Amino acid sequence: MKSRSWSAKTASTVESMVVEMSAQHPAYDALPADLQSKIFEVFEHQGQVGMRCNAADQRTLLEHFRLSQNYDFLVDVTAIDHLGKDAPERFEVVYMLRALQSNHSFFRLHVWLDERLASLPSVFDLWDSARWGERETHDMFGIVFDGNPDLRRFLMPEDFPGFPLLKDYPLKGRDERRQFPKVVARGDRMVEEEPDPYPTSIGRQMHTPDYIEEVRRDSKPRE
Amino acid sequence: MTQSPENSGRETPVPSAATLEKELEKGWKDHRSGVRPSSVSSITDDDGEGRMVMNFGPQHPATHGTLRSIFTLEGESIVEADVEIGYLHTGFEKLGENMTYQQWVTVSDRMNYLSAINNNVGYSVAVEELLGIEVPPRCAALRVIMCELSRIADHVLCVGLQGMDLGAFSVMLWAFEKRELVYDIIEAVCGARLTTSWTRVGGIMRDVPEFFPDLVYSFLDEFPPIIEEIHGMLLNNKIFVDRVKNVGTVTTEQARSYGLTGPIGRSSGLDVDVRRDRPYLGYENYDFKVPLQTEGDSFSRYMQRMEEIEQSLEIIRQAMATLPKGEVVHDDFKTSLPKKDAVHKDMESLIHHFKLVMLGHGIRPETGKSLYSCTEAPCGELGFFIASDGSDTPYRLRVRPPSLYNYGLFPRLVEGGMISDAVAVLSSFHVIAGELDR
Repeated sequence: MKSRSWSAKTASTVESMVVEMSAQHPAYDALPADLQSKIFEVFEHQGQVGMRCNAADQRTLLEHFRLSQNYDFLVDVTAIDHLGKDAPERFEVVYMLRALQSNHSFFRLHVWLDERLASLPSVFDLWDSARWGERETHDMFGIVFDGNPDLRRFLMPEDFPGFPLLKDYPLKGRDERRQFPKVVARGDRMVEEEPDPYPTSIGRQMHTPDYIEEVRRDSKPRE
Repeated sequence: MTQSPENSGRETPVPSAATLEKELEKGWKDHRSGVRPSSVSSITDDDGEGRMVMNFGPQHPATHGTLRSIFTLEGESIVEADVEIGYLHTGFEKLGENMTYQQWVTVSDRMNYLSAINNNVGYSVAVEELLGIEVPPRCAALRVIMCELSRIADHVLCVGLQGMDLGAFSVMLWAFEKRELVYDIIEAVCGARLTTSWTRVGGIMRDVPEFFPDLVYSFLDEFPPIIEEIHGMLLNNKIFVDRVKNVGTVTTEQARSYGLTGPIGRSSGLDVDVRRDRPYLGYENYDFKVPLQTEGDSFSRYMQRMEEIEQSLEIIRQAMATLPKGEVVHDDFKTSLPKKDAVHKDMESLIHHFKLVMLGHGIRPETGKSLYSCTEAPCGELGFFIASDGSDTPYRLRVRPPSLYNYGLFPRLVEGGMISDAVAVLSSFHVIAGELDR
């Protein structure tokens, strides 16, 4: 099957996609009819098959792949930030699956995720590896996985407010370094100064409500 | 055992015993919302239940890297374990979005620095698969040989460190000595010992020197006796055997669910090896077995690595016997760098070189294509997910480090054991912080 460009697709064309799509791709045919309607694109590149769906159907589809099609190995969870690109939504969360017990086939599920929502149901109960995969995606993109029992900061410090892999997070510059507390001399002692207030240019405030509240409380107007 | 926080140089008031108790009552899970962890001393008595919270790492000799574990202890038993990672977080994925495809090879060295060649090869294979190009047979065979050499060095070092942690120091020294043989070959081939940067997209940096076969064959002669020697040193060592047998047992189900790969997955009965299941670089042409253990304890992880070393030696023997002649770089110079002397001499190569190295030109995969590609690194399945937007830098470069998912099970494994068991488990897991945190 010839793969289709994803950049041209918008929400309004989803209906026509379903009609014309997938010249009977085997992976698509393997799905039951009610799930086929939830997939709006099947693509293949170098023999690797992937499907795209909306955030609302992510949990249903992954449950189907885990329980009915026996994809028993979640290789990785990650996300792509399409800020400023011609994409249906800002975030694309990617689940990479493998079926170890049958034929070692690879499969990817790409989930479009609204930036304002920025949350998905967790799948840690289907695969334990999702615990840390989702946690890192949360740490790097700020996407919340509802139900994940351990959604703390992962690679970044626990009091770090930004999300480094967002496209609007600066690669270098003052905004990043000013997040860390400064140690300055006061009298004869070295003391730690409070970090600068939350710079609004880093990321968006799409965190849990109490986190946002905390950030608002701490932030002062910038000069 | 409350330490005085006065030494820490902060101006914050000394927390009273009552405050401290209150903080600890909230538990470590909540400490981000309360007092910063550095203001709570690292070893503290809990309130009357005899429990103690202890930091194991990030600067502890037995962690072999910047790994921090937070153990809640009752006596010497671990009742609750948590890990904190990210001390070596360097932003490799963010860098990948801002470097060209060729440039990132250098960054990949710094992931698993004990077997940098495997990272180089894994990344190059991923980009080549995304572009749909195939490397020449000589390049593929050389990559296989170097990967397996590097795997041997990684495994033998891991076994040595496992011995060192568990009271058999000589094994580490012997392992280091034999590991140097591998590093001599790597140095002869690419000029560096650790940060190799040996591969290029579409090939390798240059052909191996003429004396390369001599080096490899003398390695194949010299190395095998050390396997018997290490076995003799460790299997007859009652302390070592007692400390690793039935310690940190991973079931096959756990391995599958937590995504364990590599020697750790295979030692617990999960029959998965990318070299066999999804062959790359012509691994299907070599006749090798994938060893498998069933117990899943630290001892079987040791045995697994030793058996894998033997299989790697077997692959190297076969690859050396059938090493083809020819070019080592893919001949489409739209994607792979032409030879340097040709760049100096003829116009076309100069143009190709210019187009590849100048910012804004370079390798450009098709717009909107993405691919997950994986190779078998010494620690397990090393995967790269690359999404392209048609420019000369990846739009998204995700590394699936084997150590990350392997380490995810570690806190669950050590709970219920002793602190000394945690050391045995950690050394058999062989978690590389550079790869874990990226």
